[in-house]
Amino acid sequence: MHNQVLTDNTYQKFEELLQDFSQATALTRPEKAQKMMGQIDLLIDTTEGLDFIFQNIGGLSKAGIFDGSPWADPSKLVASLVNGTLKSGHPNSTIEILSELRLLAIANGKIKIKGCSSDDAENFIQEVIVANLEFVFNEPLEETRLVMSDHELKKVHTLFKFISEKTKLDNVKEKLVEELTLICEQRPVVTEKQRKIIALVKEKIELDPTVDLDSRLLKFQRCIYRPTIKTVNTNYQEYKISLKKLSKEQLEEESIAMSKSMLSFGLVSQYHPVLILFLIENGHKNLVPFCLGLTEAGTARWREYEKFISTLILKTIHPFNAQCIYGLAKMLESGIFSREAVRSGLANMLTVTIHPEVEERILKSTKTPHEKVSALQYLMGALFRVLGQPLGVGQGNNPTCQSARGISMWSQHAPAKLINMVQTAATYNDLTFRFEAQEIKASEVGLGLVQNLDHNLDAVSVTLVPMLDKIYNEMMLNASGRAEDPHKWVNPALYGQWIQIGFASAYDYLFNAIVDFDGFIKVFYAMCHPKYNGGHRLIYPNPVGIFITSSKGDMLGFHAISLLRVDKDPKGKYRAYFLNPNNEGRQDWGQNIKPSVYGNGEIYGESSLPLHEFAARIYAFHYNNLEATDKMDNVPDEEVQKIRKLARESWGRAYTWLETKKIW
Amino acid sequence: MAKCFALMGWSLPVIESMQKLNKPYVVVSFPDFEGYAKENNIPFVSYQFDEWSDTSNSLDLYEKLKPFEVDVAVPLFEETVEWAGALNSIYRGDPRVLNRAFLFRNKAMMKRKALIGGLRVGLFEEVYNKEGVKNFMKRLNQANLQIDGEQDSWVHIKPFASAGTVGHRLLRSMQDIEDKCQESDFPCLAESHLPGTEFSCEAFIHGGKIRFLNITEYVKLGYSNFIPEGHHLNSKRDKIMKEMQKLVDLFGIEYGMIHPEWFLTENDELSFGEVACRIPGGHILELAAKAYDFDALGAFVLCHDPNLTEEELKEILPPLDARPKNFYGNVMIYPHKNVINKLEIPEELKEESYFLDHNLIPPYTNQKINSREGFGNHFGTVNFKGEDPDRMKELLLHYENVDFYH
Repeated sequence: MHNQVLTDNTYQKFEELLQDFSQATALTRPEKAQKMMGQIDLLIDTTEGLDFIFQNIGGLSKAGIFDGSPWADPSKLVASLVNGTLKSGHPNSTIEILSELRLLAIANGKIKIKGCSSDDAENFIQEVIVANLEFVFNEPLEETRLVMSDHELKKVHTLFKFISEKTKLDNVKEKLVEELTLICEQRPVVTEKQRKIIALVKEKIELDPTVDLDSRLLKFQRCIYRPTIKTVNTNYQEYKISLKKLSKEQLEEESIAMSKSMLSFGLVSQYHPVLILFLIENGHKNLVPFCLGLTEAGTARWREYEKFISTLILKTIHPFNAQCIYGLAKMLESGIFSREAVRSGLANMLTVTIHPEVEERILKSTKTPHEKVSALQYLMGALFRVLGQPLGVGQGNNPTCQSARGISMWSQHAPAKLINMVQTAATYNDLTFRFEAQEIKASEVGLGLVQNLDHNLDAVSVTLVPMLDKIYNEMMLNASGRAEDPHKWVNPALYGQWIQIGFASAYDYLFNAIVDFDGFIKVFYAMCHPKYNGGHRLIYPNPVGIFITSSKGDMLGFHAISLLRVDKDPKGKYRAYFLNPNNEGRQDWGQNIKPSVYGNGEIYGESSLPLHEFAARIYAFHYNNLEATDKMDNVPDEEVQKIRKLARESWGRAYTWLETKKIW
Repeated sequence: MAKCFALMGWSLPVIESMQKLNKPYVVVSFPDFEGYAKENNIPFVSYQFDEWSDTSNSLDLYEKLKPFEVDVAVPLFEETVEWAGALNSIYRGDPRVLNRAFLFRNKAMMKRKALIGGLRVGLFEEVYNKEGVKNFMKRLNQANLQIDGEQDSWVHIKPFASAGTVGHRLLRSMQDIEDKCQESDFPCLAESHLPGTEFSCEAFIHGGKIRFLNITEYVKLGYSNFIPEGHHLNSKRDKIMKEMQKLVDLFGIEYGMIHPEWFLTENDELSFGEVACRIPGGHILELAAKAYDFDALGAFVLCHDPNLTEEELKEILPPLDARPKNFYGNVMIYPHKNVINKLEIPEELKEESYFLDHNLIPPYTNQKINSREGFGNHFGTVNFKGEDPDRMKELLLHYENVDFYH
């Protein structure tokens, strides 16, 4: 983050503008206010600047900055409107931020305004916080990312950091439980967000275990801060000493309790590494399956590769590199260790020397790097997590859905290739790919989509994404100008040969229009709907391009996801289960289309939608062109028309539609 | 002391200045502003300036202003210069005051007057169509002894009576004349290109004498300027002052403020460009007010009053030899793209110690930019303040090319 030092000059300029504004008569006030707001807009994207304005909010309010605006009377404000206003950009967002600062000042008793008590102000701020958790935790939704500039995001995030530090959060508990559930149910590889919320709750909210809501929050808290009875009031160093006094039976009990805590939300505490290392180092390897919470199948695999995996654990796991234990447990469950190539790859990884630039990225992505933990250890840990939780891979705040989707796909279907890629990238800070008989080398091509990588990612992603992104972009350049969507050729080249040859796109480059949408949907159903494709299941993830639409259904942009499977949900309705690399649990695509992340038959990390709603947002996918065209006539017209209506009335408004029939 | 000033044209900052100075005034402007004036207790006479008929003329307006006891008319905008001239002719009982106003409104007449009086001007001519411009360029090429294959001499065309850069076109070749000239441009003034550094003067005149002279250094016409003038121009101040007084005498200006544009060549020769007698564009008086710390708009109005006393003059104007420590400059920002979505203030600007403030407006989504008419529709101004005029010039040149809109 840019660290602006507030010079005397800044203060003086502000004072001058404030004076100009205060002295202006009603005639030139709007003009002076505009200038001052411009200055405030620039100041408030840092905490120092925001604090400076907060110190002056009484003066600003008195000078009449809110007069004649919808913000004039603080008692008439509506908390649910704040989010939209913040997203609408300067000057609206700036005055909205000033309004929040004024309420904070009222709540803290710094200033008094008729008609708005300090309790009123306090409640209002809490409501605002609840409705803006995306900003509190700096995890903007896809829609938000598309509409807000970096500067605007910084402003708003700075505000929420500021007010959440200065307010009590008692009234937001229910929302926090919901938020934590939505995140944890996806079992993301990066767990910073839920840890941040849990830490915030611990610090700011007094919890009463006899109250239901509080006890639910406590459950999250305990996973991290006191996973077992023996960890109460003990730090992890003391815990290590206490383990020595335990009998074998007690160690078994402790192991079971520890893994139970981990499996409940996929969160690993600092005590867990202490326990597992203790077990391995003190001849209790047979207790490791309890400690990892393994099933019978997982336990069998542990026994088979006990020695190898023990080495991996000893070389990787540390109280400051704990979260990977969950990934490791999942790797044992999935059977990935049974592949010789994977074991070789992991063994090779242990020996590599990491390129200094990659090392820098890895340490930058680690929230609290510990001197005893090497970048290689972090990278190995991240590899466990990515391999164990392929559907937990996310793109962070980066426009790199393509790369994240790739990492997830390789993790599921070509894990050894992924390990090898990580090894190459980590050693040489470079990668090469093949594209139509040409070599593309990341270090020799132009820029990718992302220029400033947001490092809130796992170590595997920070190692690979900058290069994958460039390679992807270069492939797109090479394949452009062919009068068809370049993804037709880029997807198989980037992701691998399992991507089907057939490529269907609703958008036609020649006509610059949506052409034969009905045919497009029929091919889609013939490809994936078990009722029309001969009762078949999807084998490999299908890279699908979707339109991102706002909660009003307006077209916002494009996004890359993978369709994983189409199945009946617990209620018997056909749903599309897909990987959305942006890890959002609270999406609203308009027309009441809201992807869910749990409760509708999803496995951890999947998003889902009723199939027709999903179909109403897609614009491109791959299919087997020898197969699907035969079956598309089976798809009933009324189903197609239902989808067509949804599409036309949302993103479809942004395009011309042609009814010419295409040959698929 | 004037009994009442008629402010010809609508300008909130001028009205505010009059209120603060506590001077009697009435605003004369289009009926559109009447509602706002009433709401804010602004004395107002509504008048259709663009109508000229038996019922809409200076005598009629004179009658309408009688109840306010107006005795001085002040033109705020180019379009009200003749109106103010006509009224002041009546108030002062001198028909030539109106003729002088016409002088400001016809650039050809203005140049002829300057030429007669011995000011250095470029070659100029009234032209009525494209052929006329081409012939003008041909004669200019001949005079400049053009050899086959050499570039054409540059020609500027300007409407006779428009403010600043509106309708101003620079034609670099015969082809340019073909491509850029429109039927609607004619008739207009064609003139040869004047070389040199361009600057403007704002001379506050009372009793036919210059009482205060501001020099505004143009960094790039239509984009940026700063006040006071840099070191080089400052060293020529005496010479400039002399030429300015010559202009005032020649045009017979007694009261008010004139705003001529000049060119200074490397050989220290001054050429006269054109002159106006209303509030200059480019926020010049705003900058001057800050640099010299005086109420420039108030002074502009008061100087029109023949009855203003020496004390009052002294009070409202900075000393003639004032040289401020700080330079104030601004650059007008235009989008560089055809479709814009976002306003982004560059980090380097935020960190710039000379940066003062800006009033840029964010665009609406997918805003399309219409082609520019003159330099009229900028998206806002970025202001700078600092002690080194060379650094100021550098910054203004730099930010003219920075993209604020994406």
